Amino acid sequence: MTPLPSSPMALTKPPSASFLKKRKSQTLSSPMPSAASYLSALSQADARARNQNNTGRSPTSTPALSLSSSVTSSSEDTVLYEDDREFDNVDGLALPARPPTSEQVFTTVHTEFGHCADERYRYTSAHVPDSEVPAHVEKDPPYYILFSTYISYLILICLGHVRDFVGKRLHPSSYSHLIPKDTCYCEALRYCGSSVLLPTTLLPFTRLFPKYPGLYTNQGNFSSQGYAPLNSDFDSFYTRRLKTRLDECFSQPVTGVAGRTIVLLDRISPDYNHTQILTGNRTRALNISSYNYLGFAQARGGCADAVEESIKRYGISSCGTRLTGGSNDLHVIGEALVAKFVGVEDALISSMGFATNSTIIPALVGKGCLVISDELNHASIRFGVRLSGAHVRMFRHNDMKSLESLLRECISQGQPKTHRPWKKILLIVEGLYSMEGTLANLPAILELKKKYKFYLFVDEAHSIGALGPHGRGVADYFNIDPRSIDILMGTFTKSFGAAGGYIAGSKALIDRLRVHGHSGAYAEAMTPAVLTQVIASMASIMGVGLPSMGPSSSTTTLRLSSSSSTANGNAIEEEYSHPGPAPPSSSRLRRLAFNSRYLHNGLNKLGFITYGHPASPIVPLLLFNPGKMNMFHRMMKDRQTPIVVVVVAYPATPLVTSRVRFCVSAAHTKEDVDTVLRACDEVGDVLDLKHGLERGKRWSVDMICERAVEVAAM
Amino acid sequence: MNATSTTLEPILDFLARTLTTAETTFNKLPGSAVIQRYVKSSHQNDPGRTILELILFIFAVRTLLQSRTRADKNFIQFSDKEVDELVDEWTPEPLAQSLTPQEENDLAAVPIISGPNGPKPKLASTGKTAVNLASYNFTGLSGNEEIKERAVEVLRKYGLGSCGPPGFYGTLDVHMELERDIADFLGTEAAILYSQGFSTISSVIPAFCKRGDIIVADRGVNFAIQKGIQISRSTVRWFDHNDLKSLEEVLESVEKERKKRRGPLTRRFIVTEGIFEKDGAMVDLPKLIDIKFKHKYRLVLDESISFGTVGRTGRGLTELYNVPASKVDMLIGSVANGLNSCGGFCAGSQIVVNHQRINGLSFVFSASMPALLSVAASEGINILRNAPSILATLQENTQAARAILDRLDCITIPSHPASPIIHIHVRNTKSSLHPATAATIVPSTKPSNPTSIMPKDAASWDWDIPAEEKLLQDVVDEALVQGVIITKAKRLRGQEMVDARPSIRLAMTSALTKKETEKAVNVVKSALVKVLGKRR
Ligand SMILES: Cc1ncc(COP(=O)(O)O)c(C=O)c1O
Repeated sequence: MTPLPSSPMALTKPPSASFLKKRKSQTLSSPMPSAASYLSALSQADARARNQNNTGRSPTSTPALSLSSSVTSSSEDTVLYEDDREFDNVDGLALPARPPTSEQVFTTVHTEFGHCADERYRYTSAHVPDSEVPAHVEKDPPYYILFSTYISYLILICLGHVRDFVGKRLHPSSYSHLIPKDTCYCEALRYCGSSVLLPTTLLPFTRLFPKYPGLYTNQGNFSSQGYAPLNSDFDSFYTRRLKTRLDECFSQPVTGVAGRTIVLLDRISPDYNHTQILTGNRTRALNISSYNYLGFAQARGGCADAVEESIKRYGISSCGTRLTGGSNDLHVIGEALVAKFVGVEDALISSMGFATNSTIIPALVGKGCLVISDELNHASIRFGVRLSGAHVRMFRHNDMKSLESLLRECISQGQPKTHRPWKKILLIVEGLYSMEGTLANLPAILELKKKYKFYLFVDEAHSIGALGPHGRGVADYFNIDPRSIDILMGTFTKSFGAAGGYIAGSKALIDRLRVHGHSGAYAEAMTPAVLTQVIASMASIMGVGLPSMGPSSSTTTLRLSSSSSTANGNAIEEEYSHPGPAPPSSSRLRRLAFNSRYLHNGLNKLGFITYGHPASPIVPLLLFNPGKMNMFHRMMKDRQTPIVVVVVAYPATPLVTSRVRFCVSAAHTKEDVDTVLRACDEVGDVLDLKHGLERGKRWSVDMICERAVEVAAM
Repeated sequence: MNATSTTLEPILDFLARTLTTAETTFNKLPGSAVIQRYVKSSHQNDPGRTILELILFIFAVRTLLQSRTRADKNFIQFSDKEVDELVDEWTPEPLAQSLTPQEENDLAAVPIISGPNGPKPKLASTGKTAVNLASYNFTGLSGNEEIKERAVEVLRKYGLGSCGPPGFYGTLDVHMELERDIADFLGTEAAILYSQGFSTISSVIPAFCKRGDIIVADRGVNFAIQKGIQISRSTVRWFDHNDLKSLEEVLESVEKERKKRRGPLTRRFIVTEGIFEKDGAMVDLPKLIDIKFKHKYRLVLDESISFGTVGRTGRGLTELYNVPASKVDMLIGSVANGLNSCGGFCAGSQIVVNHQRINGLSFVFSASMPALLSVAASEGINILRNAPSILATLQENTQAARAILDRLDCITIPSHPASPIIHIHVRNTKSSLHPATAATIVPSTKPSNPTSIMPKDAASWDWDIPAEEKLLQDVVDEALVQGVIITKAKRLRGQEMVDARPSIRLAMTSALTKKETEKAVNVVKSALVKVLGKRR
């Protein structure tokens, strides 16, 4: 057989230097015949941008996407509202507050990506050199708030138990799934309905003194009752008695684009949240809840055009796993692009963000290894670590002292019992924590890394795209060489409006993960449509065009790439020391940075207690009392301009610190953030939430809106 | 005497006064009366009990205080300097070892498709088209124009990503529609959608099976199930691969064990696959259902391969055997494999599904599936419903392939004749042992140990994994030269509970005609004959 080119799967090297020179004259907007030339154009763009940076030119706004494919439909997309519905704009969401002037041409739908031409409302997300990274401080509310919170939970728990106690005797049918039974539940439901209800209605009181211990405990008369309940009483207590009360705030069905606004499918519950019925009505609401940081959740515009093109050409599915016939050229391009974007040698794309963690971590560590994990790490990380069989220790959230003392203890003590030295130690942190809005203290961690020789895994699910002057995550934010981090993981579900995740690192590492990670052999490959969205959105913030999807594409590509000699590759790679070379930051990045700081500082100035770093697009606002969650959610939704918010409570947060979590987007305009601030101001007064600042130091909401630029820069 | 009383008096006086103040303050505390009454009455009933409770109280306080201090006897106290030295001395292993030459070769040989995938895609490495018997495109939905059109429509309405987990504004109407479509298609009460097929069952199992519960699983279950079982921390018992008699024995032994221990009733599950990913064997579903009802177990059935590939319209094993799907408690399928989209589902009763909406880890903590992929899957169900000829073609092709391969004597095929994936093992020249047939050859009456995943005949497995991997890769390369893409079944050697025997895995598709299939399989056949013939 003919020898295949060496590892086309692992294409990482940019095309050879000579190739690059030949192409130098090519302009970005001309259609690119192949993936290879596309990648080379990418190098050029980066190089050009670096020159610009060197000459100290101030960043200019780049168009949302410099489109290079043959699609032209985007030019007609100067749409202000969608055509399928009449908008009277009572909610103020469909039309921009200030109509565009004649020379402003917006290429986005205002409901998806807000029109905001004012260049004052921009900011650059970057760490101020030599300043302290703010530690995670948990501001405490007054004691009466804490006290009433505890009391509320106490009442809820007592009431829940009383209701269970009485309910089980009076309405056993509604508890049938919690009771051991002799038939499987599918049939049991039917039986219970008739046989148990009858005596209940006739003789309710005899049920209070039951003869059947099996009704209450799992240790019933099991010879006749074969099926233990699916969830034991204790497990489900929280769900039934606490979460059900909040169900109104969760799993709200929606339709359309999760962009600047979102369309809710209204629902009602006739029976205290046991069932939810869709009414058939829809409400458009301001969406400050989706992880749409860069506003790429769009049905119009460059990315969507590219995806349409890709669906037409590639179809829907990749048909199989990466290693068994599911890889295509888009995977290769996507991985090369991601590697460049994050600034490391190589990257691996997987079709689900959760699975990226849960299937890759077991390939990194195993028995005899130690994983040190932040106590607030995401469920997917815990899942992966548990599968790996490695020993796990946790340190206090973002607390470098706690981390160091743990490291000292673990290294000096070695493995439990045997005291053998650990094979390796892997520290896993998140770049930006999704419930707290804190940033990993990367500078301090890297200091520790030098001394304690652990490997570092940073989950950038929320920070990639959302932080840093070039949108390249926490490393970019702190101006740290991404190569000093061993493993960079991220997801495309958030900033890029796509799905799936990536792992990036050295080539040797990534090649190993291709073979030994669970995804490669067993999980379906990412679909072409999603890949295209990833490539298009990422290229857009890098300021380069899209690869053409022409039929001639990439036959020559992989040959070219694989024949590019290592020497040349290295020469170019060195130029890629990140984060220097990057195009002037896209206006999306600067809008996001402004909106984040504006909302965060604005809420603080209004007097609320918030958590997290001001640069973080995730802004948690503390509510404390469980009862306020429902109220806050409903009061925001029932306003003239409805706003949908996410409330989070135990177990995602500690019991007392229930909170609302705002996720700011580049799609929001300054006026949208004003709307949110005004709403919070009013609701906050009603619900008594302003405990962060004394009355005298607070600003009025009008003052904040007026001096927005100043607030954002605070 | 008098002197002592005078000196004692102020002290006694003081004591009495403090006691009364303590008593009044105690009485002022809310709830003190209850405690008082409780202590009094319990003291009356049984004075010994007061002492016992006091001791208990002290004991509780002591353990509470103690847990603050280090309980670990193994802890060695080091000085700061010693710790520094130890830190300096410690050298970690490298993060990643480099690949072995064999692994490098395998990685380099992975086929990469240029452009759309389908029955005859273009290969990136050669630029030539080849017939594809490697990718999962069972019902040929990949490249279906109707689906593409619908997908574009949806894209223009929903954009691509959902940008949120289902709990937080990530539940789209199209997700609910697909869930309903799947439930209707299968005939279950409800279904729940996960955004990756592989991650589905490894979340479903731990959502229901907790520590102390019992899982009885097949020895041949796929990697995702193994991981789900591992995460669940339940007690596992294994039965012989696809051997329902062994299953019954294991169930009986579990019951005996429980009776002996008089343990409480726990949740009990049988976990197995419809068509096994590992070797293409098919489970006898009606019998399995009988056993499950007889022993009162819940059944978790992974139909990741069989859903969308067998049955008259592709409903899977339940349709093939004409068993109502509602009898399977948790039916897991892959939307990615079966409907050529992305994701997976678990179908079952409303209670089973709702439970997962809160407890299914990869459901709760992951963004929901892109809208257009969800609609593509709904459209796929529509097509399968209305065109049974697709499944008939797939079956025909499978039979045609088997007719050619079954006659070869240099290989063995463990797959069921109706299975659309066909695994090919090298026939062992020495003793021609094979797991499926080994049991009949080695007359061993002793059953396998249910606590170990290794079957009783594991000791007699004598295949040489690296050598067979290499041989099979040669076959794959040879077939590619002749214009047919096939692949080895990829395994994670070292991470799997049992190292499966190397195999080539063919995936049939209805997108090829019978003639084309026969032609392609004949190429595979001659490649097998050429490579394996050389061996002797
Ligand atoms: C830190 C972290 N990692 C991984 C994930 C999972 O990503 P995905 O939603 O793409 O599955 C999330 C998503 O919530 C996350 O916050």
